[in-house]
Order: sequence, then structure tokens, then C-alpha cells
Amino acid sequence: MNEHDSPDTATVTPTEAPSGEISTDAAVAASAAGGDERLAYRSVFQRLFVRPEVGGLIGAAGIWIFFWAASGTFGTVGQTFTWLDTAATLGIMAVAVSMLMIGGEFDLSSGAMTGAMGMLIIYLVKETGELGGLGFPMLLAIPLSLLVALGIGYLNGFMVERTGQPSFIITLGTFFALIGLKLGLSKRFVGQIQIGRTDEASDFDFFRPIFAAEWARNEHPFELRDLFYISIFAAGVIIVLLAICELWFQRAEERKSSGLIEFIVGLGLGIAAAIALHLTDGVGVNAAIAVVMAVAVFLGMHGWVSWRYEPIEDRGAVILDEKMRKFLGLGFGLVVLGAVIAVLIDSSSTHEFFFPFTTQGIRVILLLAFVTAGMALIAMASQAALSASPATKGAVTSVLALAVVVIAALTFIDSEAAKFRASLFSVLLFAAVVVFVWGFVVSRFVERRVKSASADHLGGRMLILGIVSIFVGLAFRMLFITEAELLAEVPPAKTSIRLFWFVAFTATMMWVLARTRFGSWTVAVGGNKEAARQVGVPAARTKTQLFMLVSVAAWFVGLLVAFRINSIQSNAGDGQEFFFIIAAVVGGTLLTGGYGTAFGGAIGACIMSMPLAGISAARWNTDWRFLIIGVILLLAVVSNKYLRNRAEAIRR
Amino acid sequence: MSDQPLLQLDSVSKFYGSITALSGVSTSVAAGEVTCVLGDNGAGKSTFIKILAGVHQQTEGTIRLAGEKVTFDSPRDALDSGIATVYQDLAMVPMMSVWRNFFLGSEPTKSIGPLKWIDTKEAKRIAKDEMAKMGIDIRDTEQPVGTLSGGERQSVAIARAGYFGAKVLILDEPTSALGVKQSGVVLKRIVEARNQGLAVIFITHNPRHAYPVGNRFLILNRGRSMGSFAKDEIDVNDLTRLMSGGAELEALEHELRDSGATS
Repeated sequence: MNEHDSPDTATVTPTEAPSGEISTDAAVAASAAGGDERLAYRSVFQRLFVRPEVGGLIGAAGIWIFFWAASGTFGTVGQTFTWLDTAATLGIMAVAVSMLMIGGEFDLSSGAMTGAMGMLIIYLVKETGELGGLGFPMLLAIPLSLLVALGIGYLNGFMVERTGQPSFIITLGTFFALIGLKLGLSKRFVGQIQIGRTDEASDFDFFRPIFAAEWARNEHPFELRDLFYISIFAAGVIIVLLAICELWFQRAEERKSSGLIEFIVGLGLGIAAAIALHLTDGVGVNAAIAVVMAVAVFLGMHGWVSWRYEPIEDRGAVILDEKMRKFLGLGFGLVVLGAVIAVLIDSSSTHEFFFPFTTQGIRVILLLAFVTAGMALIAMASQAALSASPATKGAVTSVLALAVVVIAALTFIDSEAAKFRASLFSVLLFAAVVVFVWGFVVSRFVERRVKSASADHLGGRMLILGIVSIFVGLAFRMLFITEAELLAEVPPAKTSIRLFWFVAFTATMMWVLARTRFGSWTVAVGGNKEAARQVGVPAARTKTQLFMLVSVAAWFVGLLVAFRINSIQSNAGDGQEFFFIIAAVVGGTLLTGGYGTAFGGAIGACIMSMPLAGISAARWNTDWRFLIIGVILLLAVVSNKYLRNRAEAIRR
Repeated sequence: MSDQPLLQLDSVSKFYGSITALSGVSTSVAAGEVTCVLGDNGAGKSTFIKILAGVHQQTEGTIRLAGEKVTFDSPRDALDSGIATVYQDLAMVPMMSVWRNFFLGSEPTKSIGPLKWIDTKEAKRIAKDEMAKMGIDIRDTEQPVGTLSGGERQSVAIARAGYFGAKVLILDEPTSALGVKQSGVVLKRIVEARNQGLAVIFITHNPRHAYPVGNRFLILNRGRSMGSFAKDEIDVNDLTRLMSGGAELEALEHELRDSGATS
């Protein structure tokens, strides 16, 4: 009967061997290759790019640059606080809604709930009388309204879980019920559809600082601000650059101390140049200092790299294949073309060119489009150069540096028209020098191709430290004012404690999602509810808690609004739920659940808030903001899909 | 092999109204042994699993776990008694990392006061170690389960069941969706689990996968038991024949062979 045995039986019958000899095919292959060949090295950058919120971050940067370039005031501290303030309340909700969406559900009642909670709080504290409230102190009203919010969230979750119907429909019901309740109850009890005032609460003044404290920048002069700002910011930039080197290059067996000395000399020279720049004035001196700065950047970076990393023995020749030549030529050409067009279009013209854009708007769009396309082509060339000789890599990177110089030159020519700020010129020139030096070291030192836990650890920590320093520096710049600015009558800028709550809530939710069981279960019930239930995750409870999280966020936002504007219309917040969902999706959260981050929701909220402030800063018709938000949503969906596919490909 | 079977089924039957899904099935599995349950589609394999996993309860007959009579009222109940079931659909969340899937529902935590968080370092280490014990060298416990191959995913599920104290491991058609090589990987995992002292119930419709790993074979056909055999009582072709319900397949095979010879 043995003739029935198929030949493949042998390959699937390894079984009577003792356990020690059993190994997977892959492990056998790995030992044969002298290492695990499946473990293709993924650099920290590749790993960063598989994060769901990266698309959102790039988008946020793009939108910021666009409005910054298109308007005279968008980048100012006042404008920044304006859009950050919108982003704060939107963001608290967007982060909570992101969590719920990661858990695989929607809450259409979340917008109406923010208004409802605000009204409830005001009604509870409002003085009794003709248009009466209950006259409770805040101390009582805050926990009472929180209980109501928890109840609504629980009800949403309970109904979704009990009926098994899509949350879209259930919360649509809650949405209309809330709208009706808001209108009906406010008319019944207060006699009008607007309800005020929050400050009738007996202990209003006690709670006001917690929910509505404000910080007026112009009241906080700090003479040493620039010293702090520049040194912390510059330190952050330097640490980020060194971190990239640490992550990028292969460590040398023996460190070369001459490199360390070179690095210290470069650093010292850079600091000396910065001090000299601060103390002197005049174009000629500035140019000389710029040269010293460039030398300092070179010494610093080259010194650091030659101190720690393995030099390349054979650099090879510069060989640009046809593809690279095409990409580089076309890319550089486009950048130059963009700059030439920008110079040719009259930068001082303010008349309408093409509805809804002014000449300025169209100029910015053309410039950004050409420059972006050109830079993308150059980036593609450097992608192609990844497998080429080190010398080729260096050459391609130099072209990138040259393209940056072209844009810097444009901003220099343009700076007199004040359309681009003069400071951008020095920033771009600095960037060009860094890129050039980068090309130089990349062609002379070995790139790391293997995993190194210690280098990844150190580099990762440095990267975080650097980024945090940059943000601390910027915060210094935004929160304080110098005497010189006060004398120059810089317009006042105000921020409120909302921003703090936004950051704190986002950070907490990031931690919850990454580090707690509840966070893990949230992702699990969104990704595969049945599977999660099978291994003992309380799926229904987790989802109900997520609904409650959203309603608590709505309660908190209602509280912030009640304290800020003192009276609330009964339609407040209605329709906002779509903005929360858009913010979550723009931030990389998957509509079907199981994928996304809290940080993404926060980024999404910033992206949603910028166009409104930007459009009014650019003096365009604000009605166009909806078009922009719609386009952003569509672009985000497409690019997130692309990034996710790429992420999967890299992880494989 | 121990004298006392860990899990023993005695004439277990299940009726859905007038439909007989399973009738008079008896078999046993001991610690460190593999009992294979074979049957064609509709033979009653799913009902068999669901009774053991606590999804359904038997209508007649007894189940004894380590000599004691038991009934499982819920999947949790069965799990708590040490019976872990790895379903065909794997009970995995594809977009979550390997270590998160491994510990899903039972994450190790650290705490300060009321604050409790997952001990990620420990979790990753254990996941990697446990997988290594099963002979699986996982690339990176951070990678999403969705990027693993079918065989590797089954392996994660098996390793997880073993780590969380399962005494009896029920595998529902673990090789049915897999290619030859991947099936081999899963069969190795079954042997690993067996060697670690687990009692394994391996449900399959492929006798060629069952025969090399099994110590005992229970053959089901249309809800009836065609007998429970020890390995030395039966060979792989008998298994095939019994599964198909007797002589029909043999006749078919001869027919096919003859037509193959003539063409």
C-alpha cells in the first residue's frame, strides 16, 4: 500500500526527532548564512516612518509652511496662539475620538455633547430667578455634570453592545436626542435657547484659574529670553544632528581622539561665531561670520563622525547612471524654475489675480509646487543612490545642498519685499551647509547595516532630547517678550491653560494606549473583537469605557467653553463631531479600527485648525476653509493608505 | 506515557433537536500524547471541539479531566480548567505586535499605587523566550502578527496556550490553510508541545498530517465514531479509508489509477 504515499509526505514528517534537533527552516537558513538573514536592518528612520502619525506630521509641516509663506502674519506668535487655541479644544475631543475609533467605534453625539455639557454646567450654577438655574456652587456642579457625562457615555456603549448595531446608528440617535434635549430643556427651564452665565457660580473665581487661566505674553518681559531661546534651540538642533549620525553610521572599533578635538574646536568656533553675531552689526561682518559658521559646522560634524565611526576604505568613483542624472537634472531645474518664477511675479502686488487667490497666493503656490516637485525628484535620486558608491552618494547630496542654496538666494532677493522673512535666508543657508557637510561625511564613513541595540538606544534618546529642546526653546520664544519687542509694540498675544490641558491629555492618552492593558485591549477590540474576546479581553466593557472616555472629554471641553465664553447657545458643538473624526483620520487612525495613535489625533487637530487662521491671515475669503479641509481629508486618506502599505512592506 | 489519561471522553453525544451532530464518541488523551481527531467535512469535528472548549455542552455521555467528571459551561470555564483551544481563525489581532498578541488579555503589569501599566520589557522577553522554547526564532516581537506566515501565527497561538498553563491543547485544523512547508512547521510545534508534557488534541481532515504526530486516532464520520485506535493498530491508509466511510474511496482510487494508466 506504500505506493499511495505522496512524495511530499517526507517533507512534512519530521516528527519523531527529539526536540533539540528540531528547528524551523528559517533558523536553519539563518545559521547557514551566519546571521539571521530575515532580520533586514531597519534604521530608526524607517521605523519612524511606519508610525501612523508620520503622514499627519509631514502634512502639518507642509500646511504650516504654505500659510507661513502665503501670509504676512501666520508665523507670528499671536497667530500661532490663535490656531493653537482652536486646536486645544478640538484636539482634546479628537484624541478621545481617536481612542474610540481605534477601538472600532464612532460617536456622532460627541459634538452635541460638548455643548450639552457646557449648558448643563451653566444651568447648575446659574442663579435661581426668573431665567433661573439651580444656583449650585461649581464644587457641586462639576462632579454632577461629570456623572451625567459618564451616564451618557455608558448609555451609548450599553446600547451599542446590547443591540450589536453599528455605533454610527446608535450614536446618531443619541445625537438627535441630545439636540432635542438641549433645545427643549433650555426653553422649558430658562425660557430661551441661550444660557448664561457661568460667573454666577459662588465659587467661580476659585475654579477660573484651573479652566480659564490666561497668559498674556506682552505682560511677561524677560530680558534674557533670546539668550535662552537661541541656546536651547541651537543645542536641540545640534543634538538632533549628532543623533542622526549616531543612528546612521557604523561605530569604529577604536575611537579617534583627534576627531573629538576637532569636534570641540568646531563647537567652540560655532558658539564664538554666534556670540560675535549677537554683538556686531553690518553686512560685511555678517558675511564673514557666516563663513566662520560654515567652517564650524564642518569641523563639528566631521570631527564627531571621525571620532566615533568607521571610515570607508574605498570610496569608489562618482558614477551617475541615467536615472540619477535625469532625476537630478530635472529636479534641480524645477527648483531653479520655481525661484525664477517667484522673482518674476511682482511680489508687492496685492490685487486679485485669480479668485480666490491674490497674486501673492498664486506666486506662493507656484513656488511651492515647483520646489516641492524638484526636491522630491532630488530625493528620488538620492534613494536611487543608496546602493551606489559612497562617492556617488556624496555627489547627489551636494546637488541637494545646491538646490537649498538656490532657494536661500531667492529668499535673500525677496527679503526686501518682506514677503519671505530675512531670517529664512540664514536658516536656509545653514541648512545648505549642513546638507553639504552631510554629503561629505556620508561619502567617507561606513553606514550601519546591522542592528546595534546600544547605538539605537543612545541615538533614540538623543533624538528625543534634541526634539524636546527645540520645543522648549520655541516655547520660551512664544511665552516671553523682550524689552526690544515691547518698544517695537509687537501686537499682544494671549494663550490659555487650554493648551496645557490639551498637551497633558494627549500625553496621558499616548501613555495609556502604549503602556496599559486598557490601551492594548482598545487596539485589540478594534482590530479583531472576536479574537480579543476569545483570549479573555472584556470586549464589551472596554468599548463601553471608550464611549465613556469620549463623553468625559466632551464634559471637559464643555467646562472649558463655559468658563471661557460665559454663555452657551443651545446649538453649540452640533456638527463638530465630524471635525473630530476628520482630525482622527488625518492623524492616521484607521476608520475601521485597530490602528492609530492618540498623538495622531492631536496632530490632526492642529492640521484642522491651521487653515482657518491661515486663510484669514492671508486675507482670503474664509468661506474657502471647508474646501481646504475637504481636500486635506482626501489627501490624508490617500497618503495614509500609501504610508501604511509601505509600513507593512518594510516590516515584512 | 502515563497510565491515567488526562482527558477521557465516554460515549459523548450531542443532539440539536432531532439532528444528531455527534453520537457515542469515546476517546482519551494522556499528558505528553497527541490524539488526532480525523473526519471529513460534516463529520462532527466542530461539535467535538465546541463541547471540549465549553461553547456547547454534551447531551449525553461524560467527560473526565484527570479522573474527575466535568462539564464546561463556558469557554472561560474550559480555559480555567486548563483546556486551551486554538481555533482555525487563530484568535489573533493582525495589526498588533507579536508580544501584545501573545499576552493579550493577560498582560503582566507593574504598578505604583493605583497606577498600573504593562511591564513591556518583561512581556517582550517572555514572549521571545517562550517562542524560542517552541523552536521559533521570532525576528522581532514588535512586528505585527499580520506580517507573520500562517505557520508562524499558529506557532504563536500554540506557544501562548502552553505558556498560560494549558494542560490540554486543542488545535482546530491548524494545517488546513497552509502549504506543505508551513504545515511542517506547525507539525513540529505540535511535537514540541507534546514533548513539553501537554496533552494535544489535533483536529484535521488530513491523515498524512495526523499519522506522523499522533499517538491515538479518533475517526469520525457523519457524527459517528469509526473507532479510536492506538498508533500501532492502524496505518495511514486505513485512516484514509475509515474517514471516507469505508470502501468507497478505495474503489475510487483504483478507478483513478486505472484511468491514469490507460491515458
